[in-house]
Amino acid sequence: MGILMILFTLIGGLTLSTQSAINGTFSRKAGTIETTLLTFLTGTMFLAILILFWGQGNLSAIVEVPNWQLSAVFLGVLFVLFIVIAVPKIGVIATNITVITGQLAIGMIIDHFGWFNSLVIPLDTSRLFAMVFMALAIYFIYKGNVRSNKEAKQFVESPS
Amino acid sequence: MRYLAYLLAVLAGAALSFEGAIYAELGNTIGKLETSFYNFFVGSIILTLLWIFFGKGRLSYTLEAPKWTLLGGMLGVVYLTSIVVSVPFVGVGLSMVSVIIGQLIMSMIIEHYGWLGSIGAKINKEKVFAVISMIIALILVY
Repeated sequence: MGILMILFTLIGGLTLSTQSAINGTFSRKAGTIETTLLTFLTGTMFLAILILFWGQGNLSAIVEVPNWQLSAVFLGVLFVLFIVIAVPKIGVIATNITVITGQLAIGMIIDHFGWFNSLVIPLDTSRLFAMVFMALAIYFIYKGNVRSNKEAKQFVESPS
Repeated sequence: MRYLAYLLAVLAGAALSFEGAIYAELGNTIGKLETSFYNFFVGSIILTLLWIFFGKGRLSYTLEAPKWTLLGGMLGVVYLTSIVVSVPFVGVGLSMVSVIIGQLIMSMIIEHYGWLGSIGAKINKEKVFAVISMIIALILVY
């Protein structure tokens, strides 16, 4: 079961990057808010059908859960909105590496304090070193992108 | 403007981690698919409001656009559902690592070949170094 879950999440990561690329392209003509709105509208329709056939939970329990659990929807909206803005400017890889850094840094902070009923895993030396390597990764990706842009420009200026 | 794009991407990642931790908890109460549905349904309402007040683009482009550019929503559903399902089984840590590995592999491939209308930047030495640094970071975290 565990392995199956890990594979499933891996596919989740693949689709997340693909979504970033597709939405970045769509937004150039449709606009940022419009792209995000369309993403959420089609997602809603898709899930409505999935739930009709396979929904086993209890959607009406939503009125009983604490409000902080419901507030995550704003984060979901911000994520898609920010990605749609960033991808056309800095590209898919740079966006994703930067996203990953934010993900891991906050993940470690959540673990450290055990927020949202999660396990408490303290921020130790190896985790601090990990943050240094992540900063290094962003630096490399930035330099790599500057170089790709230069090469692309040269190609445009002197077409062979 | 470029710096702003990097800043927004960091914030997006932070949002993703908060979202994963919070929705895992919600998923235990109302169900996995239902949690995804809640996110997309209420998200649609928020965005409709945003669009009415601040929308400057052209939503009607949806009808003219190539169909594959409309798949973003479906892909988002796969991601969110996979997180809500797997976090209670293998924990936030391992779930995030799997997602990240998937993200890294896919974004390298997409951008190298310039698929899906991306900028199409070739993989170079610096980008490989960046991925190696990320992998070291992942090993150090877990």
